[in-house]
Amino acid sequence: MISTLQKTIRPVRAVRGLHKSAVEVLKRPDPEDTVTASYGRFISEVKPQHLSSLVLHRSKRMVLDSIGVGLIGSTTDVFELALQHCQHMYAPDDISSVYGRRGSRLSPTLAAFVNGVATHSMDFDDTWHPATHPSGAVLPAVLALSDMMPNSKPSGSDFLLAFNVGIEIQGRLMRFSHEAHNIPKRFHPPSVVGTMGSAAACARLLSLDHSQCSHALAIAASLSGAPMANAATQSKPLHIGNASRLGLEAALLASRDLKASPLVLDAVAGVAGFDAFYEDYVPEPLESPNDGHVFLLEEQDMGFKRFPAHLGMHWVADAAASVHTLLVGLGPGTVSPSQVQDILLRVPKSNALLDGEVTVQSFTPAALRRPDILALLSRVRVEHPHDNPANFNSMYGEVQVTLVEGEILKGRCDTFYGHWRNPLTNESLRKKFRNNAGAVLRSEQVEGLIDVVRGLDTLGDCRDLLSQLQ
Amino acid sequence: MLCKGITESFGAAIHALNTTKLTDGVISRSKRMMLDTLGVGLIGSRTAVFNKALMYSQSFKSDERSSVWGKSQITLPPPFAAFVNGIAVHSMDFDDTWHPATHPSGAVLPALLALAETLPSRPSGLDLLLAFNVGIEVQGRLLRFSREAFNIPERFHPPSVVGVMGSAAASAKLLALSPAECIHALAIAASSAGAPLANAATQTKPLHIGNAARRGLEAAQLAQMGLEGNPAILDIPSGFGVYYKDYSPSAMTVPASGDFKWMLEDQNIAVKRIPAHLGMHWVVDAALAARAKLENTARNFDLGQIRRVILRVPPSKYVDCPLPSTEHQARHSFQFNASSALLDNKVTVSSFSEAQMNRPALKELLSKVKVETPKDNHPSFDKMYCEVEIETDQGQSYAARCDTFYGHWRKPLSQEDLVDKFSVNASSVLCSEGVEGLIDVVGNMERVRECSILGSYLRLTSSQQEQCYSLQRL
Repeated sequence: MISTLQKTIRPVRAVRGLHKSAVEVLKRPDPEDTVTASYGRFISEVKPQHLSSLVLHRSKRMVLDSIGVGLIGSTTDVFELALQHCQHMYAPDDISSVYGRRGSRLSPTLAAFVNGVATHSMDFDDTWHPATHPSGAVLPAVLALSDMMPNSKPSGSDFLLAFNVGIEIQGRLMRFSHEAHNIPKRFHPPSVVGTMGSAAACARLLSLDHSQCSHALAIAASLSGAPMANAATQSKPLHIGNASRLGLEAALLASRDLKASPLVLDAVAGVAGFDAFYEDYVPEPLESPNDGHVFLLEEQDMGFKRFPAHLGMHWVADAAASVHTLLVGLGPGTVSPSQVQDILLRVPKSNALLDGEVTVQSFTPAALRRPDILALLSRVRVEHPHDNPANFNSMYGEVQVTLVEGEILKGRCDTFYGHWRNPLTNESLRKKFRNNAGAVLRSEQVEGLIDVVRGLDTLGDCRDLLSQLQ
Repeated sequence: MLCKGITESFGAAIHALNTTKLTDGVISRSKRMMLDTLGVGLIGSRTAVFNKALMYSQSFKSDERSSVWGKSQITLPPPFAAFVNGIAVHSMDFDDTWHPATHPSGAVLPALLALAETLPSRPSGLDLLLAFNVGIEVQGRLLRFSREAFNIPERFHPPSVVGVMGSAAASAKLLALSPAECIHALAIAASSAGAPLANAATQTKPLHIGNAARRGLEAAQLAQMGLEGNPAILDIPSGFGVYYKDYSPSAMTVPASGDFKWMLEDQNIAVKRIPAHLGMHWVVDAALAARAKLENTARNFDLGQIRRVILRVPPSKYVDCPLPSTEHQARHSFQFNASSALLDNKVTVSSFSEAQMNRPALKELLSKVKVETPKDNHPSFDKMYCEVEIETDQGQSYAARCDTFYGHWRKPLSQEDLVDKFSVNASSVLCSEGVEGLIDVVGNMERVRECSILGSYLRLTSSQQEQCYSLQRL
C-alpha cells in the first residue's frame, strides 16, 4: 500500500505549476496501480507451476465431489425445469454436455447454467470459509468452456489451473469484508463472489490479456448479487447456475473487448463498485504469482457435506447422532418417540439457518411423512446461546434430549465430520461420489471418472473428463 | 418469516389489471415513451457496444426468433433479442428518465416486443400498452419503497434494480400468468437484480438495461414453468430490501370497479434531447443561456477570451469527470457537456464522437472548467439546478441558471419535438417507410390488431429499398 502512495505523490510534485483542475486529475491513481488491475494481472500471469501439490490434491477432491453432486442433482425437479427452459427457449446445440443426460448438449453458457443448478439443487455441494459454495459456480463454466474450445482441448493442468483461479478469486474477494465472515443476511454469497470466480476462471482458460481479465471481473460485477430471501426456496440453485453462466458470459464478452469499470474492485467514494454488496469493504491488491503468492486453498481447506442439507445441519446431525448412541445404549432396539419428552437444540441465531423453527429440508417426501419423525418434530425447541456465533468456523451444535423418565442426555458437536477441521478421508469422499454418480451413470463410468480426476493434472487432454459426464 | 402480504398484493394486481383500467392520460404518455424508446434503440443499433453484444448473442440457437431493431436479416432467440435491443436503447444514454430515478422503458419494451413476436395468442396493441404500463407501474412502486431511491444513486444502478422487476411484471402480464405465477416471476427476477454504479460511466452500462429486459423476461418464463422463489420477496429485508439502506414496502391494490391510479399519470417522464446523463441537460441549457448573454453583449466574441468557467451542480461523483477519455465518460461529465455547449452552441449525437472529443479547442476549454457543489443543490432530478458562470479575460462575468430543462417532466417536449427526435434517430437506420410506419403504428397503438407489426417496421432498414416498396403495396 505504501508503494502505491509514493507513486501518486511523485507526479503531483512534478507538476506544481499546473492549473489546479489539471493537478486534481493527476492525483487519480495510476491505472496500473489499482486493486482491479492487480487482479487482472494475476489471472493473466498465473501458470500451472504455481499450483502446489497440496492445492492440486485439495482441488481434485473438490472437482470429484462437485461432479458427483452435480450428477445426482440432475435427478431433481428444479434441474429438470431449468433444462426444459433452456431446451424450450433455445435449440439444442452440439457443444457443451449436460450432467447425466446422455446426448443432451447446450450452448456453453446454458450448459454452465443447468449444471450449476444441478450442483446446488440438493444443497449437497462444498462449502468454504468465509462462507460460499465455490466449486459449483466455477466447475460447470470451466467444463462448458472446455467443450467449446475449437481445436485442441485444454490439458488437465490448464483445466485445474483455471478451476483454482476461480476458487482463489472468490476467497480473496470474501476477505475484503468482515461481513463475509459471518453467515450471510443480505446477499447470497455464491451470487456475489461465485460470478466473479467463474469470470476469473474462464478468463484464465481463454488466456485473456491482463486488461481483458480485469474487464471480465468488472462485467461480472454487474451480474452479481441475489438476495438471501430466495435462499430457502426452489430458486436457490439458480444462484449457482447463474453465477457459473454469467461469469462465463462476462469472460466471453471481455474476449470481444467489451469494457467496464477499471476500478470495480477498488473503493471509490460515492460510486460503488463491487463494494455495493458489502457494508464494510477494504480491498487489497493481489500480488503477482511469482512474488511468493500462496493459494488460499493451501491454508484453508474445503468442507464437504455428508448429506444434502444446509451446512449448519451437519453440526446438529452429528450432535444428535451422539445422543442417539447414548439412547440406544440405554435399552434394546431402536429409539421410540414415546421415550422422548423434549428435544432442545442449541444453535447460532440465524434466520438463514432455522427461521425460528426446525424444518426438514432436502429429504424425500416419504421420509418427511414418517409419523415418528413428525412426532419428534413437535417436541423440538430451539435456543440461541450467546456464545454460539453465526459463523461456520466457530459455531457448535448441541442437542439435549429429555426423556419421559426424567433423564437428560446431551450431545455436542464442535466440528462435524466433513468440516475443514475434520476433513472427509479420500475413502469417504469416494464413497459419497459413488453413491451420487452411481444414481445416474453406469459403474464403469463412475470408476472411470474417479480415475480421470485422480490423474487430472497429468492428463494431456481433458476430453477424457468431458466425455464421461453423461 | 414476517409476511405482510405485499408481494401477494403485487401478484394479484399484475394479474387483475386489464385494458379497461387504462386511461387516456396514461395511454397518451406511454405511447410517447414507446416512440422515443424505439427511436433511441434504432440509432443505438449502430454503436460498438451493441455490435459486441449482437455477435455474442448470435452464438445461441433457437427455434423461436425475434426481431433485432434496425437489422433486416438478423433475428435472435427472444431473450437475446430483448438483451441486444435493450442495450441499443441505453447505448447512448438517450432514453427516458423518471422520478424517482430510473430509465423505465428500456427495461420493458424490448422484452415485450421480443415476447409478442413469439406468442401464439398474437397480442394486440392494447395488450402491449397494458403490459408496458404494468412494467412501468411496478418500477414506480418499487422506487417508492425507500428514501434512498429519491436521490441520484451511489450504490446500485437503478435500472438494474427495478428494471428487471418491471420487465418480469410486464412479461408476466403479456403471458397472462396467474397471480401466484406473477409473484414467483417477481421473486425469481429479484435474484437477477442489482448492478454496481461503478459500471455506469462505462461501455457496460447499457448491458444493465439489456439484462434487465432479458432476465425479467426469463423470470416470467421460468415462473410459467412452475419455478418458485420466495413468495414474500418484496416483504422482507433479506428480499428486495437488500438493495436499499432504508426499505419500507407497501401493498399495491387494484379496485375491482372504479379507476386505477397509474403513477405515470401523476409523475411524467423526462425525454432527453442530448445523448447523455440527465444531469447534463441542466448544465447544457444553462451553458447555452450564458453563452447567449455573452454573445449579445460582447462584440467580436471569441471563446479564447474565456478565462474560467464555473459550474454549480449537485454533488454526484459519477458525473463529475474533468477529462473524459471515452464517449461513455463524456456522457457522464458536467465539464464536457458544458464545454461542448459553449464551443458549438449545441450538444448533439455527434458531439460524443472521438473526433469531436479530441478537438484541441475543446480540451483547452475543459481545462478552464471548475466545478462547485453548493449546499442548496440537492442531488435529485426533481430538485437540482445548474448554474454556469463564464469569466472573461476582461473581467466580465456572464451567468445563467437552469432549474428545469426542456424535456424535463415539468417542461415536457411538445409532441412535434418528440416525433422530430424520433424521426432523426430512426432515419439514421430505417428507410422513410419504416420511420413513418412506426410513427403511425405507435400513434394508433390502442387500435392496432397485432402489435408484432412493429417488428416488420423495425426491420425496414434504408438499404432494403425493395422491402420498402413491397410493404407499401400491402
